[in-house]
Parts: sequence; structure tokens; C-alpha cells
Amino acid sequence: METTAATVSRPRERPHHQKLWLSRLGRLFSYVILTVLAIVFLLPLYWMVTGSSKLQTITMAVPPEFFPSQPTLANWIKLFTGPWPSWRWLLNSIIVSMLTVVIVVIIAAMTGYGFGKKRFPGSEVLFFILLSTMFLPSQVMLIPLFLLVRGLHLTDSVPGSYLAMALPMLSSPYGIFLVKQFASTIPDDLIDAAKIDGASEWQIFMRIAVPIMGPALAALAIFTFNLAWNYFMWHLLVAADKFMYTVPVGVSYIARVPAYGKVTQDIGLMMAGGSFGAFFMIVFFLAFQQYFVKGITFGAVKG
Amino acid sequence: MTAKLTGLGREIWRNRAGYLFIAPGYLAFVVFMLIPLAAAAGLSFYKASFVIDQRQFVGLEQYARLFRDAKFQKALVNTIKYVLVVVPVTLGLSLMISLLVHPRGIRAQSFYRGAFYLPGVAGGVILSVVWLWIFNPTFGLLNYLLGLVGIEPVLWLASTKTSFWAVSMVVLTFTIGQPIILFLAGLANLNQDILDACVVDGANNWQRTWFVTLPLLRPVILFVIATQTIGVFQIWETIYMLTEGGPSNSSTSLVFLIYQTAFIAGRYGKASAIGVVLLILVAIVTFGQLRLWDRTEV
Repeated sequence: METTAATVSRPRERPHHQKLWLSRLGRLFSYVILTVLAIVFLLPLYWMVTGSSKLQTITMAVPPEFFPSQPTLANWIKLFTGPWPSWRWLLNSIIVSMLTVVIVVIIAAMTGYGFGKKRFPGSEVLFFILLSTMFLPSQVMLIPLFLLVRGLHLTDSVPGSYLAMALPMLSSPYGIFLVKQFASTIPDDLIDAAKIDGASEWQIFMRIAVPIMGPALAALAIFTFNLAWNYFMWHLLVAADKFMYTVPVGVSYIARVPAYGKVTQDIGLMMAGGSFGAFFMIVFFLAFQQYFVKGITFGAVKG
Repeated sequence: MTAKLTGLGREIWRNRAGYLFIAPGYLAFVVFMLIPLAAAAGLSFYKASFVIDQRQFVGLEQYARLFRDAKFQKALVNTIKYVLVVVPVTLGLSLMISLLVHPRGIRAQSFYRGAFYLPGVAGGVILSVVWLWIFNPTFGLLNYLLGLVGIEPVLWLASTKTSFWAVSMVVLTFTIGQPIILFLAGLANLNQDILDACVVDGANNWQRTWFVTLPLLRPVILFVIATQTIGVFQIWETIYMLTEGGPSNSSTSLVFLIYQTAFIAGRYGKASAIGVVLLILVAIVTFGQLRLWDRTEV
């Protein structure tokens, strides 16, 4: 199908070569639009990364410098030697996100399988209640959860802090919904055959259901990792001190507090921090792009 | 009665595998979602601050006072405005991009899909860091580029006239990724025979897109509208990073106000009430959209 969507009209009676020419023009036209838009949307990221290699005077130069003429590592050195533990933030982000992923995937696999493959009294009502909260704004619950975490003094210890940071994401209606959609496609014959062979419910789940649900679980894991990484408000609230910040909270700290007590913001340092924060998620995304796509489309598009 | 109970008990015992499978997930759901929701709703009737044990019951007076509060009114109106601005633009832009990308083959699809989703992956906080620089009135990139076409410098974040639009613009750069992924998947699932039949019948591309493709995409479009609406209702981190809701509350939102009220001012009761209002608003809008969805599903 070499037709362009919505760019040229092609009445049938046109001679073939003219049609071909028009369709090529349309294709070129759509590539131009797409490329310009892509540049516009990616420009901020480009600006941030190149900005991280610019000297303070150059970041404030007019006209701005589009291609760094004298790149410097000064901002990056400042980022890693400043009075804040940048690497620790990265470690915190990785631990909190991994912890969230492991718990969410185990819970969603079991619960999604239960709802997708088992019929029991109340299952429909229970699932409906779960589903109806799927899209509720989560900030409302953060107030009681915050009071709970504070009341339990969870953030007094490092492991407690990590657990506290993962808490609000542990109930994952979307994950359960996604796995349920996938689990319900597991053929009953397969399960019945295993039952006849004497397999227990748990064995059926582990040996038959989990491998079949694998792609959905992988997509959920990748998707949840990204969400947990960027769960900014909660991390900001729960982090007891600079050592417990996650990457986004740390970056916001650098960007909003004038570095080293300076009055003007250190733009090069801000951009280094931003690039540092963006780097890991972007690499992660490029490595697992297919899973991101699946995580988004499984629940929504039939087929 | 006892017979019935034992009947029910036997029924539950017979299905114990099902209950056990859902138990961990449902427990987490009840403890970390339902109970906090109920607690927030309860707290919204109290005047409560840092010392939570000394809360006082004020009942519906909390809500009456809230709706007379100018800052709350501003946040409510702004939040609705953000939805009305960001959602249609996101929808239009992502739909246009998807329709242009779809016929271009698998490799182009995966390239552009990645390019437009990338900013969202980096996250609102990280993106806001660079936008703080881009919006700078004297040496920011945006005013420089606008200057090239003869537009006077704008005080993007510092003016009550533009702060709302500046925040909307940044939000837009990371909302279009998810719809593009959904639309491309939706377009790939369309029945190719119907589309081919249109070409045979002499429909041009405009007609085919307008009368056939878009109606077929309707479920996906409605899903995108619903999820985007819910997402934009919760807009706050861009505001936190760029404007702190200002100047004079011109860019604030309900969630940003919840953050300020609860976690800066420590007024947990009032903040819970704002949360409940947001919850009801989202529930009403989502319910309305779902009704629309049901009615159009074939």
C-alpha cells in the first residue's frame, strides 16, 4: 500500500505515471512534516544534552550556540563532586523501581490469573470494584499513606525507606487488568489436561500459565519500572534526606536550589543533572521499546 | 439459614484456589488503595494539621469553605482549562502524526513512534529542567527563535498571561507519545479489505480517512480521550518545577494545590477535601466518556 494518508487526492481516471508522481510527492511531503515535528519534540532533549557541555558564559549567550564549539566536562565533574550523592540517587532509583516491579509482577500474575481463569462466587463483583478504581487519581490516597508511613516511622531506616517508596504502587489495578486479559486466552483444554495428569493448581500456574503470560508479564515489568522511576511526588514526600532521593528528586533539587549558594542558577550543571536523569530511562526505553509498546496496547486495542 | 451458610461455605471451599490466587493482589489493593481512599474521604470532614491526633470535626463546612476559597476556585478552573487545552491538541496532533506515519512501513513506524515517545520516558521533571532554560526571557532558546521572526521577548513563566500556556506547552511534549502508540496499533488492526474497497470505489484519501478510517478508529480515539483526560487532570510536576503555580496562581492546578495544602502547609483535612473534589470530577467525566464509548461500540 504505497498511498499517502490524507495528503493528495487521486481520481481514478488519472494516467498511471501522474498518479505515481503525485503519490511520491505526497510521501515526501509527509516525511517533511514528520521530521520537522520530530525535531521540534526532540529539540529539548538535544538542548539539554548539549547544554551540559557548555560553559556558563555560553549557556547565557545570545544568540545561543546550537553546536557546542568548546565542549567542557566541567558541569559533569561538578555534578559528581558537588555536595550531593548523585550516584546514590541512581542506586536508590534502581532499588525502588526493581522492588516495585518484582512485587507488582508477582501480585499481578497471581491475581490476574485468578480473575482470568477461575470462576468463583463474587469474582465479578470483586473485579468490577478493582477495575473502577483503575483510573482514579492517586494523589488523594497519598495523604493517608503519608500519615501511615510517618506514623510507622518507616523512613527511619534505609530498607524501610525503600519499602515506603514502593508502597503506593503495590496495588496495581492496571497490571491485574492487563494480565487478566492475557490469562483468559489460555485454553481450558491445556489446564484440564494438566489436571488429569495430576498437577496441582500451583503447578498449573507456574508451569503452564506463567510461561504463556510471559510476554504480558514482561511488558508489565518494563512499564512498571518506568512508572516507578518517575513517581516523583511520592519520592519527594517520603525521602528523609538527600541520601534517600531518587534521580528525579535529586535533579529537581539541583535545578531548583542555586548551586553552591550562588544566586544565579548554574545552567550547565542543571543540564548535566537533567541529562544524567534522562540517560538511564532513554537507554532502558531504546532497549525495551517493544515491551513499552505492548504494555500500552495490550489493555486497549483488541486483537 | 445454617444450611445456606454451610452451602456458601462449601462453595467457597470448593473455589479456594481462585480466592487464594487473588488474595495477595486483592489484599494489597484493599490496604494500599481502598482503605487510603476511605481514610482520605473521612479526613476531608476534619480540620487536621501536623498533629493529626488533634483533629476537629467540621463536617460539610470544610467543603462549603473550600468552594468560597479563591485559590481553590482558581485551581479548579485552571485544571479544567488544562484538560480542555491539552487533550484536544494532543488528540489532533497524535492522530495526524499516526495517519502520516502508518502508511510508511514498519521501520519508519518504529522510528517515529520512538522519537515521539522518548520525551515522555524521560519524565516531566527532567524535561522541565531544560524548559526552565528554554523559557528564560533574556537568553532562552524560545525567545531567541521567536525573535528571529520579529516577536518581542515574552516573560513565559513570570507573567500571569503566559504561565498557563507555557506549562501546557511543556505538558504537550510528553503527552503525545502514548496516543501515537495506540493509534498505530489501532490502524494496523483495521480491516484492510474495507480500506481497499474504498479505493476501488474511487474514494480519495481525504474521504477514506474521514468517512472510513476515523470511524473505525473510534474506540481507540475514545480510549485515548479518556486516559489523556485522566492524566491531564493530575497535572502537577511540571507546575512544581516551572512556576510553583504562579505568578498569582495563574498556572496552579488541583493536584498542585493538594501538594501545597497537605505537604507544605500541613492542612491534611482541607487537602483531602480537594482530593475528594478531584476524585468526583474525574469519576463524573470518566463515567460520561465510558457511556459514550458503550454507545458507539459495535
